[in-house]
Amino acid sequence: MHIMEGYLPPIHALAWTVAAAPFVVAGVRRIGRIVEDHPETKLLLATSGAFAFVLSALKIPSVTGSCSHPTGVGLGAVLFGPNVMAVLGSIVLLFQALLLAHGGITTLGANAFSMAIVGPWVAWSVWRMTSGFGRSVGVFLAAALGNLATYCVTSVQLALAFPDPATGFGGALVKFLSIFAVTQVPLAIVEGILTVVVVNLLAQYSRDELSALAFLRGAK
Amino acid sequence: MLAIDRHAWTNRWSDRHPLEKLVPAGGMLLAALVLPPWPAAPLIIAVMLVLTIVGARVPPKAALGTLAVPVGFLLTGIPVLALAVDVSVGVHIGLAPDGLRLAAEVTSRSLAATSCLVFLILTTPVAELVPMLGRLGVPKPVRELILLIYRLIFVFLERADVGRQAQVARLGYDGPRRSIRSLGWLAGSLFQRSLDRGRRLETGLAARGFTGDLPYLDSDRAASGALLVAGALLPAAVVAVSIAWTL
Repeated sequence: MHIMEGYLPPIHALAWTVAAAPFVVAGVRRIGRIVEDHPETKLLLATSGAFAFVLSALKIPSVTGSCSHPTGVGLGAVLFGPNVMAVLGSIVLLFQALLLAHGGITTLGANAFSMAIVGPWVAWSVWRMTSGFGRSVGVFLAAALGNLATYCVTSVQLALAFPDPATGFGGALVKFLSIFAVTQVPLAIVEGILTVVVVNLLAQYSRDELSALAFLRGAK
Repeated sequence: MLAIDRHAWTNRWSDRHPLEKLVPAGGMLLAALVLPPWPAAPLIIAVMLVLTIVGARVPPKAALGTLAVPVGFLLTGIPVLALAVDVSVGVHIGLAPDGLRLAAEVTSRSLAATSCLVFLILTTPVAELVPMLGRLGVPKPVRELILLIYRLIFVFLERADVGRQAQVARLGYDGPRRSIRSLGWLAGSLFQRSLDRGRRLETGLAARGFTGDLPYLDSDRAASGALLVAGALLPAAVVAVSIAWTL
C-alpha cells in the first residue's frame, strides 16, 4: 500500500520523513559498524536488498481479482532483523518509486515509516513473542500482522491528512481502514501463508545460510 | 525487463547531466505541492508531458502509461475524500459539503506531482541519480549499497522470471493452493541463490585484495548553466501564472 507522489500535504510528508529518519539513521549506523568489522558483508547486504525488491515485485495469485504483491515485511524482519530492514526497506521503496513509479519521492518518508519501520518492528516483535508456539504459527502471525500493521499505519497517515468534515480524524480513519480492508485483509492472510512456506523451505534446506545472517539481526 | 529503466537509458536526454533534469523536475514537484491545484496542476502535467514526450522523445504510450500507474490508488481515495460519515443520528454516509472539491484537488495535485516523477524517472537512469544523493547528505556506504542493489536487481529479476516460467510449465500455478506453494518455493530458492551469489561475490573480491572500497566512475560532464536556469524558470513561470490567476 504505497501512498502516491504528492498525495500528502507538504507538511505531513515532511513530518513523516522526520519521524522515519532516526530509525533509518540508526540502521545506517548499524550497517556501517557491520561493514567496518566485516567488509565482505557489503555484498551480502546488497544481495539481500535486491532480493527484497524482487520479492515485492512477484505477483501474488489474485484473491480479489486485482493484481497484488507481497510486502515482504514479515520475511525481511525475520531474516534480517528490524534495524537492517529499516535501511533495506527504505532503499527498496526508493527503487519502487524510481523503477516502477509506485509510491513517490515526497511520500518516501511516510511509506518508509509504515513499510520499513512499523511493519518490520511489529513482525519482529510478534515473531519474538510467539517463539513458544512453533515456527509455522509464529511466522504466519508475524507476516500477517506485519502486513496488517503497515496498512493500519497508512490509514492513520491518510486520516491525519484528510480528516472527515463531520467526525474528524476518527471518522476518516474508519473510512480509510474499511475501504482498504477489502483488499488488505485477504492479502495479509495470503502473505502469512506464503511466508510460512518460504521459511519452512529455508529451515529445511538452508540452515547454514540462515545462521550466516544471524549477526545482521544482532543475535551473535 | 523494467520498461521505465529501459526508457531512462535510451531517451534523447539520457546522456545529459542529471542536474539538468533534477532542477526542473524538483522545482515543478515543489510547485505542484505548494500551489493551489487550479490552474497549476493541469499546467504542470502538460509541461512535464511535453518535456518527456517531445523533449526527451520518450514514446507517448510509455509516458502516459507510467502516469497511470497510481490510478488505482487515486480511484480508491476519491470516495473516501468525497463522502462523509455522520454518526449523530445512526450511521449516515453522505456527500461531504466540500468533498468533491477536496477529492478533485487532491487527485489533481497528486497527478501533477506524479508527472514530475514520471519525467525524472523516464529520462534519468538510476545510476546517474545515486551520485546526486551525496549532495543530500546520504553517506557513501549507503550510496554504494544502493548502486550494488541496482545492479543486482536485474540479475535476480531474470532469475525470478526463469523460475516462474519453469513452474508454469509444470502446472505450478494451477489453483490457489499450488500457486501459493509455488510462489513460496520461488521466493525461497531466490533467497538461497541470492545469498549464494553474495558469498561468491565476496570470495571473488577477497581474492582480488578487497579492503572495503568499491570505486566507480563518476561522469565528469558539467551541467550546462543555461539549461539549469531554463529548468528553474519553468516552475517560476508556473508560480507567476498561478499568482496572475488569483489576482
